[in-house]
Amino acid sequence: MSIPALAALAIALATAADARGAAAPAEPEAPVARRYVVEQIRFDGLTRTRPSEVRRHLSLAEGELLDEGAVLFSRLRLLQLGWFSRVETRLERGSARGLVVLVFDFTERNTLVVSDLVLGSTGPQPVYGGLGLSQGNFMGLGLALSGAFVYGGAPADQPLAPARFALRGAFFDPDLALARLPLVFGVSALALHGEELACADPECSAFRGHYGSAPRLRYDRMGGELTFGIRPGPFERLLAGYRLERVGAERIEGAGAAALSTDPHLAAAQLRVGRTWLSALTGTYDRDTRNDVFFPTDGTRLAVNVVLGSQALGGDYEYSRYLLQLESDHELPGGHGLRLSGALGAVQGDAPFFERFYPADFAYFSLGPAIGRALELNFSTDSRYDSYLALLGAEWGVPLWSSGAFFHRGYLALGARWLHTAATARAGRTPASRTPFSGDLALRLDTPVGTFNLSLGYALDNFL
Amino acid sequence: MTPAHAAGSLAALLLVAAGPAGRDPPRPPPPVLATADGRLVATVELGSAFPSDLQKRLSNGLTNVIAIYVALVAERGGTPAALYGREIDVLYDVWEERYDVKVKDPASPAGRSQVFASFEALRAFLARAGGVELGPVEQLGAGRWVTQTRLELNPVSHELLERTREFIANPGAGGRGGTPSRSVLGAFASYLLRSADAGADVHELRSRPFTAREVAAR
Repeated sequence: MSIPALAALAIALATAADARGAAAPAEPEAPVARRYVVEQIRFDGLTRTRPSEVRRHLSLAEGELLDEGAVLFSRLRLLQLGWFSRVETRLERGSARGLVVLVFDFTERNTLVVSDLVLGSTGPQPVYGGLGLSQGNFMGLGLALSGAFVYGGAPADQPLAPARFALRGAFFDPDLALARLPLVFGVSALALHGEELACADPECSAFRGHYGSAPRLRYDRMGGELTFGIRPGPFERLLAGYRLERVGAERIEGAGAAALSTDPHLAAAQLRVGRTWLSALTGTYDRDTRNDVFFPTDGTRLAVNVVLGSQALGGDYEYSRYLLQLESDHELPGGHGLRLSGALGAVQGDAPFFERFYPADFAYFSLGPAIGRALELNFSTDSRYDSYLALLGAEWGVPLWSSGAFFHRGYLALGARWLHTAATARAGRTPASRTPFSGDLALRLDTPVGTFNLSLGYALDNFL
Repeated sequence: MTPAHAAGSLAALLLVAAGPAGRDPPRPPPPVLATADGRLVATVELGSAFPSDLQKRLSNGLTNVIAIYVALVAERGGTPAALYGREIDVLYDVWEERYDVKVKDPASPAGRSQVFASFEALRAFLARAGGVELGPVEQLGAGRWVTQTRLELNPVSHELLERTREFIANPGAGGRGGTPSRSVLGAFASYLLRSADAGADVHELRSRPFTAREVAAR
């Protein structure tokens, strides 16, 4: 809508510049711009959001001369926060001539959305599922609070084994008002109990679908991360954090001749047995200039994440992890969108397996038993983690509608990805399963309760 | 091609694209066509394009902008033969209780002002866009033509939207350290609709076809 407006404005100027000199008819002149003073700023329609939070985002204050540009700027800024579906402004008479009341009339938007919805089935875990919720305006203070869980229960053929589950919670203040600096603050916590099979082959084929006596790594993690950061610019975040986790691990030999594999790519070889600690410093640079989260057609997203784990910090793991992710979005004719993406990752040193890269997490689907993890829980038989990652992808989006009632917007996504990991190259799979390519055809839906992705690639992943 | 002409071409394309291929726009009364010094001059009825809450919106005490663009297009479609633009700023004074209006068009590039004491008078003025000059009348030839009108209420510039835009991702809802999490439906970090509905209204009108003979008759 804004592009036509811009073009239209340009044509108006062009037309005006070309105008022949027809004399304007004599009309009574309107008075010069008014100079009213804003006596009061009033907020109507706020039920959840605190007025003080709204006031922080205004570009004008009571007692100032009315500036219509500042009113419009404030209105657009409030709309961009994502808390409101409508913001209207109007003036009312003040207590005396020359004074006005500036009224902001709000329609609040649902800010509680589904961030994860997990439902799956694999051989080692016949049924598992989970849910994630995110509140983008917690207590009306503009804070983000999210939580998610995945539960699988006891692994297949092991009714007495501990249940597999993962719990994660996060709190994030994107606009911490402290010493007038543009600061951000976050804290997150994780509790997880999982298992990684440790067969010599990724399919654990020796057990013919009965994985109860397969060798495995049983582990648990509990910890959290504190993050502080600054916003160097409107589209940037620079974050530094500290992460501490307590990790427990136990290797369980398989029945009969099925010895636990010591392949260095396997999770079982990448985690120390017993009670250990992971202590690490984290750093993230995030730059996001995309014009939309759901269907971006302009802008880029760059995220660089570095983790340094060290015994000097009191931990047991000495390692470093680097991940660079880049996305570039473009508008195509007909309102279509093109999303180009890439990622490079490397892990050095003695990193636990969950700090390495699980290729299926980054592919649309994987040929073979691997399936993307859910909240870092791996329910497949394939427990190979890699130290390197390279990804290139392209996704073409075709908008289907943009003004639905519950399903606000929808588009069809056709994507392809190329993924390289060392684990794929050395896995000894069939030539077909070594292919680094995956594709997807998905229907993406934007609703008041979250963004949904009905993906053929995901469905394929459950069967391939 | 100058930037202004390039922008003009873009606007023309938008007007044409919104024509026969788009949704059926409301059919206004046919434009009143006349000639003046060999040029085609139209009067376009816009009343049907205004929203029902126009009075409330124009009486909010702040400047409202109404942009009107009229294109002369062959009935079968194609590039407009002529384009016309007019911008009307409407400001209701809450203390004086009157509407101050400023009109900018090719006849008054710097703008001409008018004052309306009531909304009814203002609406009557807005509903009828006269003096819309659409080029030399001989260009009509023997063909059949239509006028396509685009009316924008409070258009928000792309630049202003860009200036108010900030970081839109939500790390609080995403995975740890760039680690993706697989879910069956919400497979990527979903969050709120951040695209602001800035409230701009766009309405398009397409007249019934006419020929040069109808112009001459008037």
